[in-house]
Amino acid sequence: MKQVDSINGQELREMLATATSWLEKSASDVDALNVFPVPDGDTGTNMLLTMRSSIEESHRTGNSSASTVAQAIAKGALMGARGNSGVILSQIWRGLAQGLQDKESFTGSDLADALQQGSTMAYKGISNPVEGTILTVIREASEAGQAQVASGSNDLISVMEATVNAANESVANTPTLLPVLREAGVVDAGGQGLYTILEGALRYLRGEAEQMQFRKPQMIASNIPQPVRLPQMAAIEEVPYGYCTEFLLKGEELNPDRIRTRLRRKGESLIVVGDETTARIHIHTLDPGSVIRYASSLGTMHQVSIRNMDEQHQDFLEMQKERAPAVDIATIAVVSGDGLADVFSSLGTTAIVPGGQTMNPSTKDLLQAVNVVASDKVIILPNNKNVVLTAEQVQSLTEKRIEVVPTKTIPQGVAALLTFDYEADFETNAQLMKEAQSTVKTIEITRAMRSTQLNGLKIKKKQAVGLLDGELLAAGDDTIDVLNKILAKLDLKKTEIITIYYGADTELAEAEQVSASIHEQYPQLQVEVVQGGQPHYNYIVSIE
Amino acid sequence: MAVKIVTDSLSDITSDIAEGLGITVVPLTVFFGKESFLDRVTITTDEFYYRLTHNAVWPTTTQPPPGDFLDVYNKLAEETNEILVVTLSTKLSGTYESALNAKGLVEKECRIEVIDSLTVAMGLGLIVIAAAKAAQSGAKLDELTALVRRAMTRSNFIAYFDTLKYLAKGGRIGKAQGLLGSLLSVKPLLTVKDGEIAPLTRVRSLGAGMDYLYNFITGFSNIEELAVEHTTAPDEADKLVERLSSTFPKERIYRSTVSPVLGVYGGPGAMAVTVLESESK
Repeated sequence: MKQVDSINGQELREMLATATSWLEKSASDVDALNVFPVPDGDTGTNMLLTMRSSIEESHRTGNSSASTVAQAIAKGALMGARGNSGVILSQIWRGLAQGLQDKESFTGSDLADALQQGSTMAYKGISNPVEGTILTVIREASEAGQAQVASGSNDLISVMEATVNAANESVANTPTLLPVLREAGVVDAGGQGLYTILEGALRYLRGEAEQMQFRKPQMIASNIPQPVRLPQMAAIEEVPYGYCTEFLLKGEELNPDRIRTRLRRKGESLIVVGDETTARIHIHTLDPGSVIRYASSLGTMHQVSIRNMDEQHQDFLEMQKERAPAVDIATIAVVSGDGLADVFSSLGTTAIVPGGQTMNPSTKDLLQAVNVVASDKVIILPNNKNVVLTAEQVQSLTEKRIEVVPTKTIPQGVAALLTFDYEADFETNAQLMKEAQSTVKTIEITRAMRSTQLNGLKIKKKQAVGLLDGELLAAGDDTIDVLNKILAKLDLKKTEIITIYYGADTELAEAEQVSASIHEQYPQLQVEVVQGGQPHYNYIVSIE
Repeated sequence: MAVKIVTDSLSDITSDIAEGLGITVVPLTVFFGKESFLDRVTITTDEFYYRLTHNAVWPTTTQPPPGDFLDVYNKLAEETNEILVVTLSTKLSGTYESALNAKGLVEKECRIEVIDSLTVAMGLGLIVIAAAKAAQSGAKLDELTALVRRAMTRSNFIAYFDTLKYLAKGGRIGKAQGLLGSLLSVKPLLTVKDGEIAPLTRVRSLGAGMDYLYNFITGFSNIEELAVEHTTAPDEADKLVERLSSTFPKERIYRSTVSPVLGVYGGPGAMAVTVLESESK
């Protein structure tokens, strides 16, 4: 096997220049590892620029003693350090330079000692060292180098191999040490960058500089499987998933295409792969029996697995509940309509209880939601005058502390929710939210259920009727007219935003017509059209 | 020998103020692709925001290398034997590490104290200004260090953002992440808490946002210093200052623009105010 007993400064410079080119090839991949939100973004690029500064500086010294070159590399890194990883890298080179002080050339054991000093220096330079980062990687890598020397080896290649292998393992292990990496499903970017540099150096020692031009550095995979991304909570309906059915089918003259065609109608996520004698089949089906019956008519079945996915989904939801961040104060909103539910979720409502005008939720429904949320302090937004009282009953049924902000309309609920102050306590927030209700006016446009006379208005069945903050003020055959009649009663001088939530029975095109008509009359206003999906009410309009 | 005061460009201290009070400002770097600029040195705020809104290239930023701090230390060490460095929050940038790193490499004998302000923009700026004033009237390094630590607890920074897009893209949204993804157009109000960007609340319009800033400031009865700054909204900033003039003398309000580096995250149309409360006697 190839051995390198010692190298001088010229070779040290070449070794690190090769390592820098090696890093360059994967700099953007390393950038991509950055976990949101990590300060000073692009780790790969930052490390590369730091290395380049080192190499440039090392070329400025004509001297080829290892000591001088190492000093230059450390100085270049210090002056050109970019980002946290660059600063740590510069510390490593500083330690390395100290380790190689006064040496014309160095051996494997010198290198191991110098890397050890680099590791120590890296830890010293950081006010608050965090494990699971480049720091851990340099420490574990340099320890492995030391161990290799202790086992009697003084050859540079074998010391560097031990170092690189340990660095590889250490990088893969970073998500175990650092939760933020684990959540993002990536390894530490700085650690990966350092590994690539060390590995590039090893390849130089092995004399592979030529081949490296055509290769790319290896990106290390996390040794923890990628976590599942969690969808938002507050599923209103459960979609049945059925059974995940998998097996191996063995027979003669199997026809995978035909099997695929036959099974397609039986479920979803169908996969059939194989040949005439063996086929692997995977399907999500509500009726695994019929799949099995069909398959067993074609041959023999092996490794049969049928799993209930609804159960898995339930477990998943449970896990999600456990994992849901414990919010200090939870908010529960009563909302009907998929669009409105999305609006409330997007504004940070902890849980949504379906319900509204014609389907008022029960106290039990609300209590259930209160029990589910991971907080002892809960604010309820009824968003309907017929739900306020129900909501007020919840307090007597739970140990948790409940505040009901008696919002009577959807816009009042939105205004209250927006006012939520992340820095304020429970009582203050409830107070702020109660006050916020009055900052918004609500127009609702619906259809008359029957003919009647009210507030001096003659109303025919199915005619459009308009309410302002719950009071019936206009009726007519044309929806837009009715809305305009009510808008005309308002003083819009201080208004800034009008939001139009259009209902399930209303077309977007019509809603946009309404928006255009308002915009024409009141050009200074910002008008926003949002799909509310609420039943019965063509429009719910928020004026603030 | 008077203590020399050093900070970074995210303090939003303008060159006028810096000169007047003898503060050295070390710039961070902003990149548009391969082009790099020194914050407030080789790129003006106007040029920067023009590029931010008109360029397809997304800018990135980075802390000054330790060498930049070392150069400053070496130069200042010619004139003094005590330097105080106050940087923006370590949760937002590694600038503090760079400043700390360079400390041990200074050639001359010089005491250097580096403090993580746990805040940013004029939240940091007003602390630095207070320190610089005290240094001018002869306070020594230990007194100044204590003064800065006390001022940190009295510096109240809040910002109105026209959009969270830039902050989210820049990866510095911190605890304000929950404000993202709203289906309605909302304008976030943010603060810096324990060194990190944290959400305060949301409003639906510029008007409501300005009211919030106004009410925030007038809620203090003990204002020592006040700063109003913006990214691309000079008219709104003027209006706010005008409105505040009955609360606080207009000419004493520090005006600034939010530095490009921070502007990368604030985006256009952002406004920030800082109240430095006076020390209770």
